[in-house]
Amino acid sequence: MTPVEWAIVALALLGAFFGGVAAIGIVRLPDIYTRAHAASKSDTLGAVLTIGAVAFALQSDLSTVKSIFLIVFMFITNPTAAHAIARAAADQDIEPWTKEDDS
Amino acid sequence: MVEFSTALLAIAGAFVIFAVVALYRVFVGPTIHDRVIAVNVAGTNTVIAIALVAAAFDESTFLDVALVYALLNFLLSIAFSKFNVERGGVL
Amino acid sequence: MTVRNTVAYVVDRGIELAADRPVELHFVDVARTRAVDPDAQAELGAASDLLDRIELWVEEDTGGETPENLTVITDVIGANQYLFSPSDYADVLLEYADDKDIDRIVLDPEYSPGGSVPMLRPLEFELARDDVEIEQAPVDRPTEQTVLARAASFRKYLTVFGASYLFYMLLSSWKPIDFATGFLTAALVAVLLAPIAFSEQPSFGRIGKQTIRMLIYAPYLLKEIAVANLQIAYVVLHPDLPIDPEVVELRAAVWGDAAVTTLANSITLTPGTLTVSVTDRSFSIHSLTAGAREDLFEGGLERAVRFVFYGRDAAAIATPRERGDDGGHSDG
Repeated sequence: MTPVEWAIVALALLGAFFGGVAAIGIVRLPDIYTRAHAASKSDTLGAVLTIGAVAFALQSDLSTVKSIFLIVFMFITNPTAAHAIARAAADQDIEPWTKEDDS
Repeated sequence: MVEFSTALLAIAGAFVIFAVVALYRVFVGPTIHDRVIAVNVAGTNTVIAIALVAAAFDESTFLDVALVYALLNFLLSIAFSKFNVERGGVL
Repeated sequence: MTVRNTVAYVVDRGIELAADRPVELHFVDVARTRAVDPDAQAELGAASDLLDRIELWVEEDTGGETPENLTVITDVIGANQYLFSPSDYADVLLEYADDKDIDRIVLDPEYSPGGSVPMLRPLEFELARDDVEIEQAPVDRPTEQTVLARAASFRKYLTVFGASYLFYMLLSSWKPIDFATGFLTAALVAVLLAPIAFSEQPSFGRIGKQTIRMLIYAPYLLKEIAVANLQIAYVVLHPDLPIDPEVVELRAAVWGDAAVTTLANSITLTPGTLTVSVTDRSFSIHSLTAGAREDLFEGGLERAVRFVFYGRDAAAIATPRERGDDGGHSDG
């Protein structure tokens, strides 16, 4: 592999790390709101890093544009989806987990 | 020496595993919202995996599939949270 | 437009009452722009235009000769104040009513100062806290207007058409047939979606400026996102799961749908905070750790978003903490 390819793989691996954090967070965190944190932040960054790596790997203008679309789209939709779900939960009076609940 | 495309495919495989891990939360719940947000994460990971496969096989048309999948994934979360709340207005 | 009928109704009532005692009719429009808004001058102009038209209508309705003890006054109020919620509007209106000894307020049933936010009912409710009589003018509404679908201007069609054509072409292979299909698709999208695409008239100059400022904002946001993710990674991978979640309220000093959405999404993306729900400008925010709450009320993000949408002057508004908002912890 060339150094550029190593750099791309490294970027994708970093993205995979945050994707993993999101997946572990979804499983480990105690309630819907905290899980939404993991889903919105870590998953977005994981997606952005990895798709950025894809944009560099596919060296044509068209696929770079498509990748950038995908990144921008992720940036807007992921937090919005997390927000919509958290709000739906709040509307149904699901109480947030607090430290006192833990025992 | 590792092939470039093999490395990308391996990372795509890692994302598929993360999606499966998120499916655990879909399975155990406990509320519908937990399930929806876990499906959302699994969907996002699938989109990333598709994009990585596109890069590994140098097939930029796969990116269109990823784009559409991302749109559907977003729509699913919004639709679920909207229709699951009786009084609506989440959009 | 039910304003015309509301004026007619008020004038009728005014003439009726003027038979017994002197009556003053005040027609006021609450200015909904803030002094820092670049569009302020245009909107204040629109407000005084409306009041000029109202004066003409009043003349029409009184048949040109105003009864002796009927006085008509028009005024724009609230121009230099910071208005957002229905209670802010109610404050301004009641203050004016108090000042001029007004004992009855008539609202136009289609009055919606909040843009796409339904405002009339909460406003009526807020006004009721004083002992002034409140009513909506009992006029027939020509059509039941939904806020979503407004008649679209040519510029709206053009903007939506241009954006969708561009998007289509970027994803296509630039063959001649693509130009044709892209044109058709974009035209279809514009016809179907232009009426619901914008809540306000798009202004190209403004969009351009905001885009440039957005590019300045992006690196700051990226840095915050990086910090947020390291923090989440630390919390999630830590064996003890060191979290202390709490829901707090933030009354943010931003206005307009796009700005509120941007702030809400930025809050969600930055360290330890997640927007749960937004009503008017009151954000309900779930925070993961105590440190995240501190940062939130320092107001860095809020200031940056204001900079993007209204320019540098607006960025100087005080932070939430300086405004005396420390979260009003809703539950523990």
